[in-house]
Amino acid sequence: MTKRIFRSICLVALTVFLASIVLIMGVLYEYFSNAGQSQLKMQTSLAAQGVMNEGMEYFHDLKVTDYRISWIDTDGRVLYDSKSDASEMENHLEREEVKQAVSNGYGESRRYSATLMERSLYSAQKLEDGTILRLSISQNSVFTLFLGMMQPICIIFVIAVILSIVLAVQVSKKIVKPLNEIDLDNPLSNEGYDELSPFLRRIDSQQKQLMGQKAELHQKEDELNTIIGSMNEGMILLNQKGKIISINPAARKLLDTESDCIGKDILSLCRNLDLQEILSGALQGEQGERVILLHGESYQIDADPIISENIIKGTALFFFNVTEKEKAEKIRREFTANVSHELKTPLHAISGYAELLKNDMVKETDRIPFAGKIYGEAQRMIRLVEDIISLSRLDEGAVDMRHENVDLYDLAKRAIQSLEPEADASCVTVELSGTPVAYNGIGRLLYSMIYNLCDNAIKYNHENGRVTVDIQDEENSVVLSVKDTGIGIAPEYHERIFERFYRVDKSHSKEIGGTGLGLSIVKHAAKIHNAKIDVNSCIGKGTEVIVKFPKQKGNQ
Amino acid sequence: MHLKFDEQLDLLNKELITMGAFCENVIAMSAKALTEGNPALAKTVPDLSAQIDHKEREIETMCLKLLLQRQPVAKDLRVVSSALKMVTDMARIGDQSADIAEIITMANIQAADDTQIVHDMSVAVIKMVTDSIDAFVKKDIQMARAVIDYDDVVDSFFDEVKKMLINIFSKPETDGEYAIDLLMIAKYFERIGDHAVNIAKWVLFSITGNKEGNL
Repeated sequence: MTKRIFRSICLVALTVFLASIVLIMGVLYEYFSNAGQSQLKMQTSLAAQGVMNEGMEYFHDLKVTDYRISWIDTDGRVLYDSKSDASEMENHLEREEVKQAVSNGYGESRRYSATLMERSLYSAQKLEDGTILRLSISQNSVFTLFLGMMQPICIIFVIAVILSIVLAVQVSKKIVKPLNEIDLDNPLSNEGYDELSPFLRRIDSQQKQLMGQKAELHQKEDELNTIIGSMNEGMILLNQKGKIISINPAARKLLDTESDCIGKDILSLCRNLDLQEILSGALQGEQGERVILLHGESYQIDADPIISENIIKGTALFFFNVTEKEKAEKIRREFTANVSHELKTPLHAISGYAELLKNDMVKETDRIPFAGKIYGEAQRMIRLVEDIISLSRLDEGAVDMRHENVDLYDLAKRAIQSLEPEADASCVTVELSGTPVAYNGIGRLLYSMIYNLCDNAIKYNHENGRVTVDIQDEENSVVLSVKDTGIGIAPEYHERIFERFYRVDKSHSKEIGGTGLGLSIVKHAAKIHNAKIDVNSCIGKGTEVIVKFPKQKGNQ
Repeated sequence: MHLKFDEQLDLLNKELITMGAFCENVIAMSAKALTEGNPALAKTVPDLSAQIDHKEREIETMCLKLLLQRQPVAKDLRVVSSALKMVTDMARIGDQSADIAEIITMANIQAADDTQIVHDMSVAVIKMVTDSIDAFVKKDIQMARAVIDYDDVVDSFFDEVKKMLINIFSKPETDGEYAIDLLMIAKYFERIGDHAVNIAKWVLFSITGNKEGNL
């Protein structure tokens, strides 16, 4: 900018300067030349007068330095010359001024010397005798003058250049200043050049557009980050070299890593060989999944290649905690194995007794007891199958069972009544206390809950023991409590007794009877009613099972 | 494939970590086979060991190539040369794990109370190997020094095993073969611990440039 302005200013200044010099010099030079010429003319006429009066004598007295005087004969021969020897000079008849003088009586001309450095003015006058007197004067030519003025011209030139630079800097500063001061963040608030306003308006609109897009982008990123950040599953994105591009907090926690792991190799966080295998598979475009152990928990890792335009851009890794799932799977497997075992035991007995009867190897008196045993085992199997069926229905969430208004007190009374034979057999007294409470629930399940709890309380009791069933209506809940004075359960088993087929004392299960599914059914039934089970027990003193049913709100 | 120098170094680093993971795996397998007294599991160990040997040769070739083609200096030189040494120790860990597994395949070892102390020792050694590789991965000087110090724990375990075996020998009904097998297993574990210490020392060298202790 400064350079250009400087160049223009400099050019203008020099052009004007040169033009004025040429003009002034031309005009002045012409003026002085003319003045010189007219003076010369006067001198010539004066000299002519002298020559005419005195002849050659005139020249002898003449002391001239400025002028050159030549006297030329009519035939052009030079009679006298004040500067050179007349006899050696050439014929002057062809000279311009002489020619004019011959024809007109007076003539003048101007001639440059060979080097152009000097100019001579000539003036010739025809005398009365026909001879011609010529005067000439030398003058510096315009170029000589110009050369003589070279030094001041140069100085002026330099001054012009310096002034131009200073001016250019100043001007460009002044021009640029408003441009520099433009506030591009708020383009419309600027008062600079009107010429810029289209640009500023354009910038403003583009800026607004950009801001809009940026905000949108931010919002989308935030949404994504929130989703990824609040995910329970670990998620890691890797580029095609296995370096981490993005990692969510869950994955970070899982791999025990600090925040600056982006850009690092996934290998430096987790050296698991299975992980590496599925990763290299994923980088070849194959989906893979493995279950690996991390911090003692099982995680299923899914590796999915990210493919865009047929090029594998990276891998997405997902970590799912499958510990619970595996545990559930294990419980299910155990359950299946237990069920088969429990079903097989009575079947063996039945088949054995039946075989003996078939082969007629039984004494007549033993037939009835044998049939009784077969009946008993069959009954046990039926109970077992019934329990399994009800459990599996409970597993489904008891979808086909209807909620109805029932009286828990009444249900408890019925359950105790139906358990009377067992209670009598083990010499256990069963008491019912509390108040009738109307409750909205699944009657059959509630009944079997109370039945199973009382059944256990009777079975695992001492002789002459007591079972107390209590039903209380509290502010937010209905509380069912079954308390016995039995053998009690050690604290470490409190969780496990609700597992299917779990028995604290495995060796005596046969004598005590039961399917091992009772408390499981209680647990599931409680879950369906959103009820909470508490077990208070002390070995040798007895057990109290408290079931708290929340009122209406929680149960549909 | 023509890679840039830093990419080659990166790849070397990755391969070393992978080899470290192999080592962790193979020693964990041997230890598990020992604890469970499971000869079938032990039979899979030599395959893993062979994989480690293969990896060792791969990394060695890679290091030599780097030295020849790139002529690294300063830190890069330390990294490449210590890698060259580290793979040897790692391969020895693999070999010794395979040796342990081989003893277990003889089926003289049963899971018993006597093996408990050897099991504890194996846990300590696995921790050393894991930590030494972690120190390499994280370039962690503190961790590497901790590994070197931890060797004392493994050594004291070895002494305990020796004392226990002396007790066994003093009893009249001693199964001599069993006791010697146990002693050898303990010795192999002790050696693996030493190799882990070597790895840690090379990690220190690659970071600081000082050779600490007698390498």
